[in-house]
Amino acid sequence: MLKYLIIPLANDAVSFCHYERGNASDRLIDIDMLKKAIFWAMTENVNVQFVYPDKEMPSEYKPVIDTIDHAKIVSSHCEDKVLTDEADIVVFDGWNDLDAFKCQSGKSYVVRTDKSGLFDNADVFKSLFPKLDRLVVVITDIDKFQESDFQKYEALLNAMIPIIKEEYGKGHSLHFNLLTDRMFLDKMNNCNAGDETITLAPDGKFYICPAFYLDGSKAVGDMETGLDIKNRQLYRLDHAPICRKCDAWQCRRCVWLNRKTTLEVNTPSHEQCVVAHIERNASRRLLEEIRTLGEFLPENEIKEIDYLDPFEIIKQ
Amino acid sequence: MSFDIAKQSIDYILSNPELFNEPSVEFDFIGGEPLMEVKLIDRICDYLKSQMYKRNHKWFNSYRFCFATNGLLYSSKDVQEFINKNHTHLSIEITIDGTKAKHDLNRIYKDGRGSYEDVVKNIPLWLEQFPDCGTKVTISHADLPYVCESVMHLFSLGIKVVNINVVFEDVWVDGDDKIFETQLLNLADKIIDNNLYENCVCSFFVENIGKPMDQILDNGNWCGSGKMLSIDAAGNFYPCTRFAQYSLREKKCVIIGNCVDGIDSNKLRPFLTLDRTTQSPQKCIDCEVASGCAWCQGENYDAADTDTIYQRSTAICKMHKARVRANNYYWNKLFRKLELEGRREEYNATHKKQTEKPC
Repeated sequence: MLKYLIIPLANDAVSFCHYERGNASDRLIDIDMLKKAIFWAMTENVNVQFVYPDKEMPSEYKPVIDTIDHAKIVSSHCEDKVLTDEADIVVFDGWNDLDAFKCQSGKSYVVRTDKSGLFDNADVFKSLFPKLDRLVVVITDIDKFQESDFQKYEALLNAMIPIIKEEYGKGHSLHFNLLTDRMFLDKMNNCNAGDETITLAPDGKFYICPAFYLDGSKAVGDMETGLDIKNRQLYRLDHAPICRKCDAWQCRRCVWLNRKTTLEVNTPSHEQCVVAHIERNASRRLLEEIRTLGEFLPENEIKEIDYLDPFEIIKQ
Repeated sequence: MSFDIAKQSIDYILSNPELFNEPSVEFDFIGGEPLMEVKLIDRICDYLKSQMYKRNHKWFNSYRFCFATNGLLYSSKDVQEFINKNHTHLSIEITIDGTKAKHDLNRIYKDGRGSYEDVVKNIPLWLEQFPDCGTKVTISHADLPYVCESVMHLFSLGIKVVNINVVFEDVWVDGDDKIFETQLLNLADKIIDNNLYENCVCSFFVENIGKPMDQILDNGNWCGSGKMLSIDAAGNFYPCTRFAQYSLREKKCVIIGNCVDGIDSNKLRPFLTLDRTTQSPQKCIDCEVASGCAWCQGENYDAADTDTIYQRSTAICKMHKARVRANNYYWNKLFRKLELEGRREEYNATHKKQTEKPC
């Protein structure tokens, strides 16, 4: 069931996920199209997330945007500093400026980084964790992970466990997607693009997510004719043979990465599965550590498992 | 295909036993007409054998070379030398469509002459060398009126096993299922009334098809794509030859690697995790005569609304149901006859129960 509508307001709206941002251009979504999209969202009863470009939006757009309750996704480099202050999610491309940025409590911060940036900036986390409540790290080149990277990733997450434990010990319920999300979940919590979330792109057409728009994929409907997602069932968990057997519930289960790496939206790559399981297993260790401080999420157990890729179980 | 491409492919396959861990292997040479290149094939087979021996590979002495040929070159000196050299490891299937009229409808030379006479003269030699080999027949819309006479003709030539199926493409029109059922009922009568069931097999008649299927216990994929590496002349790898560009109408080919870089195992994952219910529409899951209803993953992909192998084509639905009805008739009639003759137990003891053979 559809719950969210993402509206990138321009071709170069900030990327908050695995895909690369579109080329800078002046292509804003047409204001009449925006009004139609907002009306559509109201009638379909879906939550709207506006994704902003760095350049300040023309003044006539602001009152239109404000006609609907929404979330704002904004780049840390956005020219409109008032907007950045008001944003629900602030996105950093890489690690520059993070230290100097004045984080606000209750807000989510997304850092997009490639694996080498992640491994090189492990120390930045230490200074960040006390300053914010929710940090989301998006690794932009998961598909390029090799065996040695898996080992480095596991070591990195293990090194963060005592730091996060310390925050919890201080009473700071920090949310860090790679380590804490799995602890709080009791079922899959994925991106769900194509199932619960859909994107209306600046060209006025629907796409599975912004990445599908930017890579030239076919649209899945438009404002005039409505949504038309062929094989929609393949975006659901019950039609994903590997994922439906998996309990790395925090996994983003990115259908765009799936299609890029395996040619099927319902099948994750080996790399995506292993990365998610390294996070899952590190979350298990973190949960055990936090419990040494006192009772914590007593209902939630993360079982010990002996595989990193559920594909191996299916093959057996 | 150049020998060098074949050699690189063989080197890759034999160097990666963990990726190809089956105890035995079939090397299937597909044309056009493979026997036109029998000298190249002979060189490739020699290289394979020598490499399997040198590497002490588990497939040495557990391999087969397989061919589906139009049979025209079967008696030629080069082909016969190849057969004599490799006989114990060979499976050769000559495709002959049926009667002369039926065969010459499609199988013609460049100048329009039919090839039936030239093929049929090689059948005795083929049956002498490979008495247990069968032939493969594929039925499309235009072939329907000839099904019964074609199969009977093949039996009359001495061919004992006729592997036959309808095409998976959406070529069927209203009423085809009735024509098909009538043909199969006639065929059933002829096989049983002439006691041909004693020695001959037509794969349309299989005892255990036409039953509902359990969603959990009977959830395997029918098609073997992804488990049978296919290599084109340029050295590109496919999950099955049906995914090469020359086999597809609408979609882009699905390349899963090549002989230089090897297999991209991520691209194999969807094939190896594919099951029946995930790709089937609800009507197939609920179908009361589901068992034995086949599909071709390549055709599913080609006919799908999106670029996916997870959308089962149901173009043969009515044809399968027609087959099931005729199949039910065949077994009821045969078993009643055997019972009346007091030969049912004897039949059960001497005839292996046929099972539907997945792709």
